[in-house]
Amino acid sequence: MDFTFESHQIAFRDAIRKFLMVEAAPEMLREIWETTSGRSADLRARLADQGLTALSVPEDFGGIGLGDLDWVLVLQELGYYAIPESLVDTAYLAAGLLSELSGDIEIKREWLPRIASGEARVAIGHPSNPFVADAGTANLLLMWHNDAVHAVRPDAVKLTAQPSIDNSRRLSQVEWKPEASTRIADARIGAPLWQRLLLRGGLATAAQQVGLAQRMLDLGVDYAAQRKQFGKIIGTFQGVKHPLADVAVAIEFAEPVVHRAAYCIGRGHARAGHAVAQARMQASEAAHKAARASIQAHGAMGYTWEADLQMFMKRAWVLDAGWGDLAHHKARIAEDIFDDQAALGPSNTFSTHYGEAPAPRVSAVSR
Amino acid sequence: MGAPETALAQNPVDQIRRAIAQWMAEHLTGEFAALRHRGGPGDEGADPALRKRWEREMAAGGWTCVGWPEAYGGRGLSIDAQVAFHEEYARAGGPGRMGHIGEGLIGPTLIRYGSDAQKARFLPGIVEGRTFWAQGYSEPNAGSDLANVQTRCWQCDDGSWRLSGQKIWTSLAHESDWIFVLARSEPGSKGRHGLSFLLLPLDQPGVTIRPIRQISGEAEFNEVFFDEAVAEADGLVGEPGKGWEVAMGLLEIERGVSTLGQQMHFAHELGLVVEVARRNGADRDPAFRARLARAWGGLRVMRYNALRMLSGGDDLKLGREALIYKYHWSNWHRDLGKLAMDALGPEADTPSEDPAVRRLQQVFFFSRADTIYAGSNEIQLNLIAERGLGLPREPRG
Ligand SMILES: Cc1cc2nc3c(=O)[nH]c(=O)nc-3n(C[C@H](O)[C@H](O)[C@H](O)COP(=O)(O)OP(=O)(O)OC[C@H]3O[C@@H](n4cnc5c(N)ncnc54)[C@H](O)[C@@H]3O)c2cc1C
Repeated sequence: MDFTFESHQIAFRDAIRKFLMVEAAPEMLREIWETTSGRSADLRARLADQGLTALSVPEDFGGIGLGDLDWVLVLQELGYYAIPESLVDTAYLAAGLLSELSGDIEIKREWLPRIASGEARVAIGHPSNPFVADAGTANLLLMWHNDAVHAVRPDAVKLTAQPSIDNSRRLSQVEWKPEASTRIADARIGAPLWQRLLLRGGLATAAQQVGLAQRMLDLGVDYAAQRKQFGKIIGTFQGVKHPLADVAVAIEFAEPVVHRAAYCIGRGHARAGHAVAQARMQASEAAHKAARASIQAHGAMGYTWEADLQMFMKRAWVLDAGWGDLAHHKARIAEDIFDDQAALGPSNTFSTHYGEAPAPRVSAVSR
Repeated sequence: MGAPETALAQNPVDQIRRAIAQWMAEHLTGEFAALRHRGGPGDEGADPALRKRWEREMAAGGWTCVGWPEAYGGRGLSIDAQVAFHEEYARAGGPGRMGHIGEGLIGPTLIRYGSDAQKARFLPGIVEGRTFWAQGYSEPNAGSDLANVQTRCWQCDDGSWRLSGQKIWTSLAHESDWIFVLARSEPGSKGRHGLSFLLLPLDQPGVTIRPIRQISGEAEFNEVFFDEAVAEADGLVGEPGKGWEVAMGLLEIERGVSTLGQQMHFAHELGLVVEVARRNGADRDPAFRARLARAWGGLRVMRYNALRMLSGGDDLKLGREALIYKYHWSNWHRDLGKLAMDALGPEADTPSEDPAVRRLQQVFFFSRADTIYAGSNEIQLNLIAERGLGLPREPRG
């Protein structure tokens, strides 16, 4: 795998970064936090203007038809700016699943163009998450039921709002009834679709955590570069600057792992789950390290609601538990390593390891 | 290393143990039952009014300030007996002590540095659970560099003092009656010289208290503004200009016996982690079990170290053990917070009515600050390296 991104991918990322820098300042995040819906139609419309809602939708359905490698860079930016949106669930996960249904069918004709235009929000209910994010503002809910996929209208569900320690999230418990009329894919077709959605959920989590880690690091560096104690900028002290440098290293080492996972999903590699699991571990480590070092550099200021750091820490913390928690991903890697047919040792190069090795056993969710 | 267990059956320590256990069983009931295991670090918002009544209940039973000399209203309990007291208090679910800054910090400081008049005036309010205290050390530009305090104070002709300036991060100031403050009494002085240690009431026109919201959403600490606030002539502890000595004496006490009670809360929290891990199956994950075993070991280490430190009696100078203690417990506790979240899994992220889950979420948040207050990690390591190991000081401004 060549780790260089294509210039148009970098250019798109840069454009999104510039856009979010202006449109998603921390003050705006705080304002959105305080609203009941937790979402801003205005921000959503502007994200759509940037083409973000259309990324995964095939051109035939009014989208741009890009893939996981294009997404991964954008996801890092969405993490960096802690965008309070159902954008990832709608435009990456739901659009991905619907696009992968075969044929030119009604459900695709009805929803994909509306997702692409930014008009529709889609929430996803899967047992790897105890609650459904953004169900309250969704125009459609894609629900898992014994591996079948059901498309459920908001008027057919009962929602109980569930607060989160991350105020940017809007979670609900969803009660609904699977009907023949809501089923858009049976279990045979649905199982691999959910598998891919889970991989993407994991990738989205890891990529956002890498972005969040970078944001927390930047905040810590900014603070350490201006706060004075003992007549000196505290960033002068090795006790302050070294832990921040450690975070930079952790981020640098997490990033290629996350990019590799995106590549594997995009290529449909049999071992993409393995790559995602590693990305989750690495990104989570970087994010936790960043939170710890940054709050420490901030001193008591970092422990306040007023300092922006808390918004990014909380987002980073809660991401850990979604789309299969870390224990699950670690167990997955361990199982792969101990598999009878594990491709370990020097004779197994990077590419054969991913390209030719047999698919691993599906690992049990340990908890 | 101490007598065998059986020989202890009827000793004074055992008597205290049984007395406090029985008293708690009889008194942490009725309206107070709601306070069981409440009000600890991160949970300071839990019914402060009721917890103040609880302090008076404790006082009526003779259970406040048990380690103080009898002459000042305490019980003069030995270290062993105090350990027993704290263990039983925690075992019974005794609430976080509203009076801990008075009982644990300013009271002992006054016993050591205060005049007879100050002792007579201030100690009874603490012993009786009536007067609550806040600690006014930190300022916006005096955090780790505490000696950079800029709040000014000056003495008036009638001997009383005036104070102007700002303190910050003042825990529980909004629930307190009095504050002790480190302020600059010699204009133009720098660093630790020219500071004075003053006591003043918070309820007066010259004092404004503004809450600061913490990451948990609670506002346990405050900004405290002084605008010619008044301290009586009798409010000066020690000599004018020599406040640093008193302030440091207090910090040594902070690293003393009050840590024993804290450990008992840690033990309770560790128990909660085990409870939720059993409940949701995290206890079957070998990696988790290994971390839990390490956490348990860390807590034992803390206990032995504290007991070793305290067996030095009154000599709580910055000994080897005292130097390493804060660094150890704060990092241990921060890790416990993370362990708790990992045990909870997705449950960690949604506020819960379940008392164990709620408590562990508070522990997680609060323990993010443990390595910052009362001497940050970096400051502790500097102390260990420079005072403990005699390494040269890092160049500072
Ligand atoms: C929950 C909580 C409750 C508190 N309650 C009280 C209270 O009741 N009363 C009170 O007076 N104060 C209180 N404090 C304040 C506390 O004492 C200070 O936060 C602490 O002294 C650190 O100061 P600071 O926050 O200004 O951080 P800073 O001193 O600005 O430190 C920022 C970072 O720089 C590092 N640093 C600073 N100097 C050095 C150095 N020389 N070498 C290496 N690293 C260095 C620090 O370790 C830290 O990582 C409380 C704080 C918290 C978080």
